[in-house]
Amino acid sequence: MNVWKHLRSWEGFLGLVLLLTIAINAFNSDAFLSIDNQINLFSLSIEKVIIALIMAFIIINAEIDLSVASMMGLSACALGWLVDSGVGMPMALALCLIIGMAGGLFNGFWITFMKLPSLVVTLAMLIGFRGLARVLVEDRSIRVFPKWFEDLGQHPILGPFPLAVLIFFLLLLVAVGVLRFTGFGRYVYVIGINQDMARYSGIHVTRVKLILFTASGIISALAGILFAARLGSVRGDMGLGFELDIITMVLLGGVSIFGGSGSIFGVILSILIVLYLRNGMSLSNITGHLQTGVIGMLLIFSAMVPNLKSYWESLQARSS
Amino acid sequence: MNALQGLRPEKLRELVLLLLIVAVLVFFSSMIENYLNARLFNRVSASVALMAVLAIGQTMVVLTRNIDLSVGSIVGFTAYFVGQQLSQNNEMHPVLAIVMAVGVGALMGGINGVLVAYCRIPSIIVTLGTMALYRTLLVEYSDAQTVLTVNLPRWLLNLPSLNVFSIDRLHLRVMVLGMIAVVVLFQILLRYTSFGRKLYAIGSNPEAARMAGFANQRIVLSAFLLCGALAGLTGFMFLARFGNITVVAGIGFELKSVAAVVVGGVNIFGGSGSVVGAFLGAALIDLLENSLIRWLQISEFWRDALLGLLILTSVATDSVIMKRFQGYWARKQAQAVPETQER
Amino acid sequence: MNSTVPPILEVQGLSKRFDMTQALRDVSLQLHPGEIHALVGENGAGKSTLIKILTGIQGADEGEMRLAGNPVRLANSQEAQAQGVAAIYQEPMVFPDLDVAENIFISHRNRGAWVRWGKMYEDAEKILSDLGMNLDVRAPASGLTLASQQAVEIAKAISLNVKVLIMDEPTASLSNHEVEQLFKVARKLQQENVAVLFISHRLDEVFEIADRITVLRDGQHISTRPVAEVTRESLIQEMVGREVDQFYASRQARQRGKRLLSVRNLGREATFSGIQFDLHEGEVLGFAGLVGSRRTDVGLALFGIQPADSGTIELEGQTVTLTNPRIAQKLGLAYMTEDRRKLGLAMPLSITSNITLPALGRYLAGLGFIRTDQERQTAEEYKSRLQIKAPTLAHEVGKLSGGNQQKVMFSKWLNTQPKVFILDEPTRGIDVGAKAEVHAMVRELAEQGMAILCISSDLPEVLAMSDRILVMREGRQMGIVDGATATQESVMSLAMGESREAA
Repeated sequence: MNVWKHLRSWEGFLGLVLLLTIAINAFNSDAFLSIDNQINLFSLSIEKVIIALIMAFIIINAEIDLSVASMMGLSACALGWLVDSGVGMPMALALCLIIGMAGGLFNGFWITFMKLPSLVVTLAMLIGFRGLARVLVEDRSIRVFPKWFEDLGQHPILGPFPLAVLIFFLLLLVAVGVLRFTGFGRYVYVIGINQDMARYSGIHVTRVKLILFTASGIISALAGILFAARLGSVRGDMGLGFELDIITMVLLGGVSIFGGSGSIFGVILSILIVLYLRNGMSLSNITGHLQTGVIGMLLIFSAMVPNLKSYWESLQARSS
Repeated sequence: MNALQGLRPEKLRELVLLLLIVAVLVFFSSMIENYLNARLFNRVSASVALMAVLAIGQTMVVLTRNIDLSVGSIVGFTAYFVGQQLSQNNEMHPVLAIVMAVGVGALMGGINGVLVAYCRIPSIIVTLGTMALYRTLLVEYSDAQTVLTVNLPRWLLNLPSLNVFSIDRLHLRVMVLGMIAVVVLFQILLRYTSFGRKLYAIGSNPEAARMAGFANQRIVLSAFLLCGALAGLTGFMFLARFGNITVVAGIGFELKSVAAVVVGGVNIFGGSGSVVGAFLGAALIDLLENSLIRWLQISEFWRDALLGLLILTSVATDSVIMKRFQGYWARKQAQAVPETQER
Repeated sequence: MNSTVPPILEVQGLSKRFDMTQALRDVSLQLHPGEIHALVGENGAGKSTLIKILTGIQGADEGEMRLAGNPVRLANSQEAQAQGVAAIYQEPMVFPDLDVAENIFISHRNRGAWVRWGKMYEDAEKILSDLGMNLDVRAPASGLTLASQQAVEIAKAISLNVKVLIMDEPTASLSNHEVEQLFKVARKLQQENVAVLFISHRLDEVFEIADRITVLRDGQHISTRPVAEVTRESLIQEMVGREVDQFYASRQARQRGKRLLSVRNLGREATFSGIQFDLHEGEVLGFAGLVGSRRTDVGLALFGIQPADSGTIELEGQTVTLTNPRIAQKLGLAYMTEDRRKLGLAMPLSITSNITLPALGRYLAGLGFIRTDQERQTAEEYKSRLQIKAPTLAHEVGKLSGGNQQKVMFSKWLNTQPKVFILDEPTRGIDVGAKAEVHAMVRELAEQGMAILCISSDLPEVLAMSDRILVMREGRQMGIVDGATATQESVMSLAMGESREAA
């Protein structure tokens, strides 16, 4: 009974779409379903996918963080700049994560203590962090990393899995566990449903939001580091516009833009759909720019999800 | 206090902005030698002309509790599109070129408007999507070619340096005059027409607007339409000013226009703000940028980082000021209530 | 009353269905010019649906509507206004950023495409002074009190030359004095031959103002009678469909326990000041006062939501500073809000999640994981103890009736095991039956030794439930009276500030 209900939910619908994209891709290319191709596919977008996890928390919390991609660029550029200036690798990595934390706290400060809308704050920091990244590397491309660092980014370290994919699996496990089974996860939903009500119920709204935005900063910085390792060099425009893909993944996954509902499971399904779509388009020789356009269209479509979702579910309810 | 009472919050805000602009001028003229000269005016006015027109469009949308992040892409696309048409057909009438730019912009804004008003998708999402979409359109359409100055008709290239009149070396350019016309026109539209007041009403309380029987959807659509049209006009001005148009034309304009609007005191939650405010906001930002870079001798790369901070601080001070102001009103009301009750 | 005059508005055989529920079934109603017609019924009786149809916000499935004898179909509220039908609501629909004059005139269609500010201010001033209201037409609406905002709404309706004015629970958030003002305006409209349809839960008001009373129950028309033929008892009986012999159970003398809470000279800038009282175990302290008397603000201060900035609070002999709800909760306080929908419950979540929310810390295992079995057990307990009617505990709270939602909210705070329980309007917006249950529960909790601070605008309720009553007026404490000897009149006179002000 319960299983059947789940199957007919929005996640069920996404599952269907996913199967469809897999079928089309597999039909077009024999290599598509091979493990190597799957991992390769994942690795190519791993930074976005990692950030999508924390973005799901933030949107469920009825906030938004538009500055993630800029933070990613900033952390990558900071790493390049630090190493270039002679700072040791471990120290530089730690500093990057601290920059992420500080940036996240900075966002969180304006949002929680100054009570500004996260949309405005993170929009400003979308410009601000990117600006700082440009200040650090200007229009250069810095390629100074030690070989072990690039290897870490580019080669498998456990079985067929590169480090970034392993980190993603770990974070996925944590995200599902926290959101679904812990008190903190419950608070994230409750605040997303109704922030005032949460405060009146004695929930530490400020703390939850600060934690989320700080986590977002740190994870974006981590994604920046992984990005730098994978590419082996850094530039000022790294990750430019990634927020578009990330938010699309989360919204398409059934997380309501108004907060309070959605699941990591749905987000994973939509991540796979977006990745396979891009992969399929690449195979059909569709340019990167056109792909961005398609993702933009998908984003608009996925924002209609709450409407479609209720329509789909009412359709199901009527037929049963 | 009495003088304050007569002032509507919008007027107060405009006054503060004017004072700030004067303060910036005074400060930098003491820091930078030969700062206050005709060149400063000419340079700042030329770039403000573009940004102010765009910011006024953004104001329409923000007043209705929405935002348009696609204006940068619209500017880029119309600049390229009209530029290409003019390159191919040098004989085209100037008015036709402008109408074409405005029309293409309005069409793109209209698409945003339909998606926001009729499909009920949050504007931030729609325009984040169309920002990518319109840019893609530009890239595909241009096929990575550039509009070149040499192919453009003479009148267009002369337009930026065309003066209405000059006092000494102080020039009032035609494009600046055009911008002033737009400011006046839209100020009248917003303040003295029932359509303009409905924009405020919808942003102030959408539910009440619906109950009052306003055609909310059509009005929001019109706001996006006007915003797109002004973005198209900005695209035309961009083409006239720079001549060479590549696929990156207008990138970042969406954020600058939001910054101008927010600094100009238009409430990001809709319902209050003015065209004059948005214009002053655009002017203040441009002046600050221009002056800071000259004063600190810092690289161009600092521009974005500073812009981000400026948006944040102005929104923050705004919300603090508004809270004060509302507290003041509330207290005044609290004093007035017992009096009315005794009657 | 004016039954010889032909009705200005007449509906016949209205029916309306939403998915599963029949909101209206074959309802007919006539409004005559110059009458004040009251519409009463329990929550869910179909009053709001009827209003929405009359004002064109919704269309009816069946039935017809006639204005001055001519059949009409109203597609939207603007059309209704054009035909002379307007409504004002409990929560006025003003535009906070626009000024008073603009609020009055913005929905006018016939003022053309251009705004003439000078003329508009003149016209607004004239309308307001005709109504005997004194408002600055240039002030933004955001600073107005609720009553003033309603005044603006009425002025708007009048400016539209309204023939039928619908007032949907206009008095729910007004003080008595403001209600009187409103009634004056209503009578004035009556003299000008406007038909007023007045909806209220407060029967006293209905008897005071109405010429005729119509009762709706379960979407059906039950009766329409001149007020002289109706008694309070018969009305309640028709509303609930059963005999109610005694509305409020009598208050019994209770044993007062040891002192729990001691508040001295409590204040918050520009809000309230000089509040002092003691609260004992097993005692119910009523908080009475008109709206705007800042009772809720005292409650919010005691629960740390809007902390006080002067005075002291002692809990069981210890001085405490309550700067946020978490501290207050830890110290054994609980505050149940008056606004269930916006501040009380997470509507899309289950009954269980709502009940355990404030005390969720108790249900966490290592690493912050929730022990769902214990959660469910707690929810079970409260479900049977408070007789919450719901199919399952996983049921969405938003889909419960008002009374059951109130019980969930009670459970939620009882589960924090408070020593001092602050109830803010515990019976607002729930039907008569659920009201009686709430009263019984409060009595029971007090008997078990809980100290209860009960804020209520329902004066008979406060009098029936409280051991002592603290009366406030505009942020000041006017006095504490004994619940046994207090009368409506004595409490009211304090609340209006007519006596002891000098003392």
